[in-house]
Amino acid sequence: ISNFYPWDPELMSQDLLFRGRVKQPARAKATIDVIEQLNHFLWDHGDIAFGPLGMLLQENFNLGEKKKSRKNKMVMNTEWLLRDLNGYQPKGCPWAHLSTRQRRFSLLGGTVLGEEVENLLGGLLHEELETRWKRLLLDEASTGGALGWVPGAKPHHGQLVYPTGRAHDQLNFQKVKLSPTNEPQALGDPSHILLRGPVRQVVTRTIQGEALVAVRSDHHCALWKLEHRGPPEPLQVLEMEKEATGISLSPHLPGELAVCTRSGAVCLWSPQHGLQQIHKDPETFVFKDPSSWRWADFTAHPRVLTVADRTGLRFADARAPSDCGELLFRVGAEASCQRGERVLLAQYLGTPDPLPLSPTLHLVCTQFSLYLLDERLPLVPLLKWNHGLLSPPLLAQLLPPPYPEAPLPLLLGGLGGHLRMLHLSGSGRTPQLAAPPQSLPSLIDSLPGFPVLEPHGQQLLQERLRAPLTGLAAVVPPGCPSPTMLLFQLSAAGDVFYQRLWLQPDTSSESAGSPSTDHPSAVSWKPRAVACCRRWLKTLLQVPPTLPSWTPPTFSQHHLRWLKEENKGKVQEGLRAAMAEGRLLLQGDLAPLPPSDPPPAHEPFGTEDKLSERLEASWERKGAIWWDGQRDGSRLPRKRQSREKRRTQLSSSFSSVRSTSDFSDVNSPLPHPPKTPSPLHRMSETSQSLELSQELWVKNIPRERRQTLRDYLAVLPSPDSGNCSIPQFQNPSSQSLSTSEPGKCSVPCSQNPRTQTLFSPLPESYSAFYSQNPNSQSLYSQNPNSQSLYSPEPAFNSVFHSQNSSIQKLPSRHTPSLAGSQPLRKKPRMGF
Amino acid sequence: MDAFSEELMGFVQKDNQVEASKDPVPEIHLPWLSQHIQSTGSHGQKGTNFAQTTSICLNFIQEALLKHQWQRASEFLQCYLQTLEDINSQKRQMAPEIIWKLGSTILYNHPKSNVETFSAFADRMKNIGVQNYLKISLQHALYLLHNGMVEDAYRNLNQAESWRYGEMSASQEKLIKLIQAYRGLLDYYTWSKKRTEVSSFDMDGFATNAATQDMHSYFRQASVNLHEIIKIPGVWDTFVKSYVEMLEFYGDQDGARQVLTDYAYDNNFPSNPNAHIYLYKFLKKEKAPEDKLISVLKILHQIVPSHKIMLEFHMLLKKSNKEEHHKLGLEVLLAILDFSGCTENITAWSYLAKYLKQIIKGKHREWVQEGWSSRKDWWPTFHFSYYLAKKNWKENRILALKKAFTSGILLGKVKHQKIILSSGVGRPMFESSFCLLLAE
Repeated sequence: ISNFYPWDPELMSQDLLFRGRVKQPARAKATIDVIEQLNHFLWDHGDIAFGPLGMLLQENFNLGEKKKSRKNKMVMNTEWLLRDLNGYQPKGCPWAHLSTRQRRFSLLGGTVLGEEVENLLGGLLHEELETRWKRLLLDEASTGGALGWVPGAKPHHGQLVYPTGRAHDQLNFQKVKLSPTNEPQALGDPSHILLRGPVRQVVTRTIQGEALVAVRSDHHCALWKLEHRGPPEPLQVLEMEKEATGISLSPHLPGELAVCTRSGAVCLWSPQHGLQQIHKDPETFVFKDPSSWRWADFTAHPRVLTVADRTGLRFADARAPSDCGELLFRVGAEASCQRGERVLLAQYLGTPDPLPLSPTLHLVCTQFSLYLLDERLPLVPLLKWNHGLLSPPLLAQLLPPPYPEAPLPLLLGGLGGHLRMLHLSGSGRTPQLAAPPQSLPSLIDSLPGFPVLEPHGQQLLQERLRAPLTGLAAVVPPGCPSPTMLLFQLSAAGDVFYQRLWLQPDTSSESAGSPSTDHPSAVSWKPRAVACCRRWLKTLLQVPPTLPSWTPPTFSQHHLRWLKEENKGKVQEGLRAAMAEGRLLLQGDLAPLPPSDPPPAHEPFGTEDKLSERLEASWERKGAIWWDGQRDGSRLPRKRQSREKRRTQLSSSFSSVRSTSDFSDVNSPLPHPPKTPSPLHRMSETSQSLELSQELWVKNIPRERRQTLRDYLAVLPSPDSGNCSIPQFQNPSSQSLSTSEPGKCSVPCSQNPRTQTLFSPLPESYSAFYSQNPNSQSLYSQNPNSQSLYSPEPAFNSVFHSQNSSIQKLPSRHTPSLAGSQPLRKKPRMGF
Repeated sequence: MDAFSEELMGFVQKDNQVEASKDPVPEIHLPWLSQHIQSTGSHGQKGTNFAQTTSICLNFIQEALLKHQWQRASEFLQCYLQTLEDINSQKRQMAPEIIWKLGSTILYNHPKSNVETFSAFADRMKNIGVQNYLKISLQHALYLLHNGMVEDAYRNLNQAESWRYGEMSASQEKLIKLIQAYRGLLDYYTWSKKRTEVSSFDMDGFATNAATQDMHSYFRQASVNLHEIIKIPGVWDTFVKSYVEMLEFYGDQDGARQVLTDYAYDNNFPSNPNAHIYLYKFLKKEKAPEDKLISVLKILHQIVPSHKIMLEFHMLLKKSNKEEHHKLGLEVLLAILDFSGCTENITAWSYLAKYLKQIIKGKHREWVQEGWSSRKDWWPTFHFSYYLAKKNWKENRILALKKAFTSGILLGKVKHQKIILSSGVGRPMFESSFCLLLAE
């Protein structure tokens, strides 16, 4: 059973940036392509953009219904206008032929249609794109990381705390057993708590024998106490009006936290004493910077905190709150900063354990460099190193020495998954680099260790391994014969990976030694790790593909005039029936799927072109099925038949306007759904979305217009049935379910996600935790069951579990139709 | 289509420029931005082939360095040398510095490299362009020093100092000063070697005289340079110490005191606790009056209350006659124990226990209350928790006893002390934990 969430990288820079030729490559800069986006929006979602205007104007236009009265001269017949527009693609072409009618219409209506939409939407779209682009470049929400390690009562036991789920709203507590020689072992399934908001940061700390977990969400912070036995005990929750940007647990006093928000306020918070604001300044410290990001951490004095913004780091004293404490770090000449350099992460490196380093050290990371500062010697960094990371360094951790008097490893992780390790030695209590810094293998470096996959699988795996690194936790297991370090990494896709590093005696230099790893190019896997990875991979490949975040437009007027009467009647019946029952309109209700024109396939080389068939099948992820069919030998005659057919369709696929002869095919039932995915398949999916959104309109439309609309809807390129548009899945069970129980299919999507409350630990998670890989990387993943999120009703749960294999696909197909007008992805807006 | 998009591009760019000029705030510079642009710009030019290959080569070198593959890195560096002939003048100017940085890192770590190779490389790199001569000379000298070749380093610094090219820029001036300072430091090194030689000589008048004169000439050379560098705001601990030592040797106590005072109290200098410690130690050696010592340490107490010299400060204050000093003495002790690095400082705890007793005998309970009021909400958890009591008792009984005694006074209501001080907060758990332990 797959417990995975499909994961896709969502937005990429390609989607946002201007792609034209850059005139001066030297001065190239990123330009958000608002015009292109607006253009796309108007084309793809014309119904949203022009719908309201259309509603206003519809009194005065006749879309082609039979003229009932000639009296009303205020109504304009658009029949000819639509015909002129037929096949006309004016996008970007100023010299296209314009008929007089079109010219007149665009002169009269152009200003209203164009400017209104542009003015209203343009600003909003620009704003949205800008925020998205900024987040793409620097996702400051995940600063600090969302993976925590809590050592247990026994020396080799502990717990990993991390969020999973599509919305990162499920907090998992996974018990892990470490072994000095073997791989770490997951003990049972993780227990989890469902929160009503995305988990951005997880901080763990054990002070005076008390293990605490602090969690930061966008507008909430919460604190749990971990017991060795029993579920985590919630201590307190804090709600914030402005978005919280940082949380840290005091290394001195149990249960004390520092919290900061975008308003510029920094508070000391403890369950016993409540909140105490110790700093508030919406302005940045050193010079003016637009960012409202703030960060707070502790210092060697339990009552003095450091507050960071993009321009520097300053002390804030809880005993005498003021807004002008002494600066500890300043972006400027003292640290010989570069132009445009900003603080991205600040961290206090002292811990209650007596370390060989002084407990007054602070780490500051900018996009270029790493600085070590001593709070007794402010403004002048003790150490500066250019980390060269090509992603924001938002994660850092200082570890205890692997053996007494060894240098301390300092880990630095970039959001892109790159890791750096420094070795700090504290001889004479001033930090020094004991060995040259190192890079550690990132997740994507483990790719060669996986078996070779079919192209789509390979891409899926690559995307999964390239997911941003959102958490980092390293553990030095005590009492190992050979010093070793375990590195856990959490990716944005919800997978937790680990790698083990051994300390290698460094013979070349006089320094004590430096932990090092295998070269990533030579990933060696132990059999157990291979088995584990295969299992993970198998589950990964079973995950339904991610939904396209948008769907291409299919709305065209071409077919209005070429409608066959008998077809129309059937469509109307179907539509009426669906409306009467108040259920989703399915393809089956409307009309059988028009024959989709496959792209011109090349002629097979022989009578039996097995290679192409097999390739074709494997592209559709049906490699195994094809193979079975081949063995049975039962498929061949059918296949040939379909190919013949495709050849006859070839000519028609070139003409943009479908002729009536195409429609004659519609009525002849297809022997089985076509196997080749074609662009038209995708189009048919979206036509559903239009239908659905328009179905809702019907009520607001004057009666005499409804007929027109229905006619209109009826001739949309109508796919045959739900599963036809899923060429990838031809599972008989999914077919039957999608047609017979359409109502239920849509339920999980429309269920209100708020049904679960905070602090309702579910008894068990359904996922399997698997691990184990010694040498390089191994992975285990805990993705909770999606159904538990949306459908608290047991009845539905059982349906889903019993038919898991087929049901997974259904939401994936039906969601885009809902998503067309109401995207499901806006989940982060939920409360905590 | 292309013309159309170009038009758009111009339009959008113009817009952006307008925005940029409106907004005076300097923008954050993200090094990974170019990656995003490159991955997007399918039509965009990616630069010349030459630029592409060199940038790929640079990436390979950096990757190899981070994986400690020194040989591989050195092989790539050989290819990278072609950037010295880049047609882009900006890149061409940057190239020597980048090559020097990469090359020196490789040679520093490469198992087969030696001082000769490094020196040869440094000498070659110094003379490519003029911008990096001073920087490379200084780093070369430091490398030689690291390998114990003091004389070569000295020669190197001497050469660099006499190097001139055109008018001196501000950055060059700074570097020259630094080079001179390091030369001064090496002069000091020779001077102190000579000093030990002279002191070990028998009282042979002539030889001693010659050696002393030789020594004196080193002093003069060093003092000129060291004096120059410590005028510039910065952290010059080693230089200041050496300079002061020489001044002291020649009996210039006033000069030495002046240097140390300036170094500690000049507001242009960054706050530096060491400066105050040097001054204190100097004054202490000079047997300066206690008031003066106290005033120096008072400032240090404000900057770094956790410094171990604060215990000495406490003793000074305790000995003092003024009552306000006695009061400060308590605050100093409490402030030391505020810091996480000093929680198990047994001397501080025993001082505190003793001093608390003394204060209470002297009927100054309000001092204790004053010091305690700002700490009462967190010291009990920070110092006197049950967990810590158990831990301390297990690890260090004397510490546990001292802490128990102090907690008894501060938290009140402990039976064996019979001292009840108001603390406002009744924390029976902490006391009882200590009492239990005491009873054991």
